[in-house]
Amino acid sequence: MPITYYKLPNGLRVILFPDSTAPTVVTAVYYRIGFRVEPRDRTGFAHLFEHMMFQGSQNLGKMEFIRLVQQNGGVLNGSTRFDFTNYFELLPSNKLETALWAEADRMRGLAITQENLENQQAVVVNEVETAVHNQPYGGFPWLWMPQYANTNWYNAHNFYGELKDIEAATLDEVQAFFNTYYAPNNAALAIVGDFDPGEAQAMIAKYFDGIAPANLPPRPDLAEPRQEVERTATRPDPLANRPALAFSYHMPTRNSPEYFAMGLLDQILVQGDDSLLYRELVKKNGFTGGVSGAINELGNMFDYDGPMLWTASLFHDATVQPHQILAAIDTVIDALQSKPVEPSLLQRSVTKMRSSLYDTLSQFGGFGRADLMCSYALFDDDPFKIDALESEFRKVTPELIGRTAREYLRKTNRTVLLIEPGAAEGDL
Amino acid sequence: MTSTPPQGPPPKPFHLPATTDFALPNGMRVTTVPYGIVPKVAVRAFVAAGAVYESAGHVWLSKLNADLMKEGTRTRSAEQVAQEAAEMGGQLEIDAGPDFTSVGGVVLSDFGPQFVALLADVLTAASLPAEELPRLQADLLRELAIDKSQPEALAQERFVQTLFPGHPYGRAFPSESDIEAFTIAHAQTFYRESFNASRTHLYIAGKLEGDLRRAVEDAFGGWAKGSPAPYLAVNPATTRSLQIVDRPGAAQSNLLIGLPVADPASPDFIKLDVMNSLLGGSFASRITSNIREEKGYTYSPISQIGAHPHLAYWLQSADVATDATGPSLHEIFYEIDRLRSEPPPADELEGIQSYLAGLFILRNTISPDAIIAQLHFVDSQGLDRAYLSTYTQKVMEVTPAGVQAMAETYLVPSKMTIVVLGDQSKIKDQIAPYQAAKQEEPQMDTDKHR
Repeated sequence: MPITYYKLPNGLRVILFPDSTAPTVVTAVYYRIGFRVEPRDRTGFAHLFEHMMFQGSQNLGKMEFIRLVQQNGGVLNGSTRFDFTNYFELLPSNKLETALWAEADRMRGLAITQENLENQQAVVVNEVETAVHNQPYGGFPWLWMPQYANTNWYNAHNFYGELKDIEAATLDEVQAFFNTYYAPNNAALAIVGDFDPGEAQAMIAKYFDGIAPANLPPRPDLAEPRQEVERTATRPDPLANRPALAFSYHMPTRNSPEYFAMGLLDQILVQGDDSLLYRELVKKNGFTGGVSGAINELGNMFDYDGPMLWTASLFHDATVQPHQILAAIDTVIDALQSKPVEPSLLQRSVTKMRSSLYDTLSQFGGFGRADLMCSYALFDDDPFKIDALESEFRKVTPELIGRTAREYLRKTNRTVLLIEPGAAEGDL
Repeated sequence: MTSTPPQGPPPKPFHLPATTDFALPNGMRVTTVPYGIVPKVAVRAFVAAGAVYESAGHVWLSKLNADLMKEGTRTRSAEQVAQEAAEMGGQLEIDAGPDFTSVGGVVLSDFGPQFVALLADVLTAASLPAEELPRLQADLLRELAIDKSQPEALAQERFVQTLFPGHPYGRAFPSESDIEAFTIAHAQTFYRESFNASRTHLYIAGKLEGDLRRAVEDAFGGWAKGSPAPYLAVNPATTRSLQIVDRPGAAQSNLLIGLPVADPASPDFIKLDVMNSLLGGSFASRITSNIREEKGYTYSPISQIGAHPHLAYWLQSADVATDATGPSLHEIFYEIDRLRSEPPPADELEGIQSYLAGLFILRNTISPDAIIAQLHFVDSQGLDRAYLSTYTQKVMEVTPAGVQAMAETYLVPSKMTIVVLGDQSKIKDQIAPYQAAKQEEPQMDTDKHR
């Protein structure tokens, strides 16, 4: 299937992928501003801002964007991630133009009031309460681990936001953030589904051509220094009643050979009941009922652009000590570092990865493909990279797996996060 | 630029993915759905072996059985099962739900027939090894403890206890001693009695490769017919009840408000679906607009119609700021009362009808598993597949007066179960007015969760 990729004169990156399997279409707009880069005294601002994008633009008042998509038979969402904030609609395919018109309207400018802002500050505070503060293991490990494993503020701050920071945001700050980052030359637009590329290009020109670009600020230095000492953090959780353990390793640079090897190591170590850590920690030792893990817990291994962690986590009983679990993990990792990986195990990891890639791309009616197309357009100016992913994984050799395990699954590249339960055992 | 949104051309016709249905001589039902271009296939069996078939002291026996079924067959170790599935690009997923245990996975299309054979081995010849029992019991005890630390799980537990008294649907959790008392014989009996061809419907959807029908006949043809699942009548509560679950120090209150409504076989069900979407079941719905987008009391309010076979209930949920607990109840009942007393404007209803028509396309195309979920819903309710082919037309036929009639007939406040989980010392006064529906005798039922 061919991807069409081009840029408008104002810098907007456009990626088109027709697929007429179903009479539906995904329209996605990605802005290259995530929660890493937000004002230092305004943690959580990038996410609060995302909410404001639903609060009104020139031709769409509060609730009208949401109602427009809904009453045309579609669903929509927005999310704030490490390196982008996205907005997308999944609609019956005859409503593509409606979606493009609406996305262009809010790319052109916001029209929001102090009242709208205060309403969404309350909604976002409730969101954080629901997801984190009122929930046992609320930020474990996705929100908390990056704060312990990273040292550069951009990667290590509370990106959901301190409540006081969320509550302190002003309308001027919202406008300034929009002016700085929400410009066509900082954005990508993807369309996936049942549409005609020629017609889509005409509509895109009609609605997006006139939107002015912005002078983008230089990107801050996001680099993390090489970690040389293993770190362990203990976090009390007054709502939790069982201990939990997570461990993270800093990832190799994106798109490097070692990065693709880490993708396969993730498959080998934690994905599925055939994985080595499932076998060791669940089946053999009975420490836990399951191990979950991921590269980029808020997306996938393809949709970020900066330092990243490979993280795995599990819940256990107080009768088992963290050092016992870590010792068991070490035996598995030591073996990967010291002996060439068995060809059958490597082959299985490639099969699992290929299968998982299909899932990623077809996720949510083609939204998954839009996610990767926008990410590669924004971060690499090359959405065609998607087509080469499978072969990159196939190139990984047992030798590369060993080398990657030795450098990146080093104990000194690791951060361990322990959750100390505060709720009494019998407190059910 | 234009100031009103372009409407686009008329919609393309939507055709439901075609299905092929057949039954094996032993009674097992099979549905195949060729769909899409992604080279993957979902293979999933729904067995009438859910929690509803557990006896009172054996809550979660269906979960234990599901865990044990992953531990190998008479001819394959657990590791062999896991590795074989992984080599096909998938894994074996066993999930014990309230009514069905689903057993299946999604694999690369080339391996469809092979995965059918693996699935059949697990379904028909699970070994349920006793030596794995203590480890799995420990896992269940941990899962129970963690579940019971989650506010929404505790609110849900109280809700089903209240709505389904004396029925398995009302038993969300076992006690620790129940789990400790499980023996391998309990699981063996559950497996023997509930896993058979008569209680099973196998769905295969996606890009289909190879002779899947032949694979199904070969793999499942010898499975015992067994007897069909018994039906356990249920009489959900229809009396007003305010249940408080105290959670000292809670940052928010979890609200659940619901009651039984007409089941999916009723001609009212699709009208209820429309009414629910307008009232609280969509982002632009009245309750969400009110308590989220106007008042900021909550992040994710939602109403839904939950269903078991031949049974449905309406349920509004919201996690709200503690000091907005009473005001949220006030606004939710205000919106219920408003819809009961006046028909919605025609354009508001039309918006909801278009939404449901579009959503219907998504639900039937978004993934092979979504297609399976739609078919399984229809089949498990004993409905004709015409339910799906006529759904959109029926949605479009609903009138404003019809929506009002659904709210008036079914959303009767004096019959509702209300659960509020939160910091009792801070919410007690706020929720006191909701002990009874207006003009009824107050009756508050208060206690701490163990």
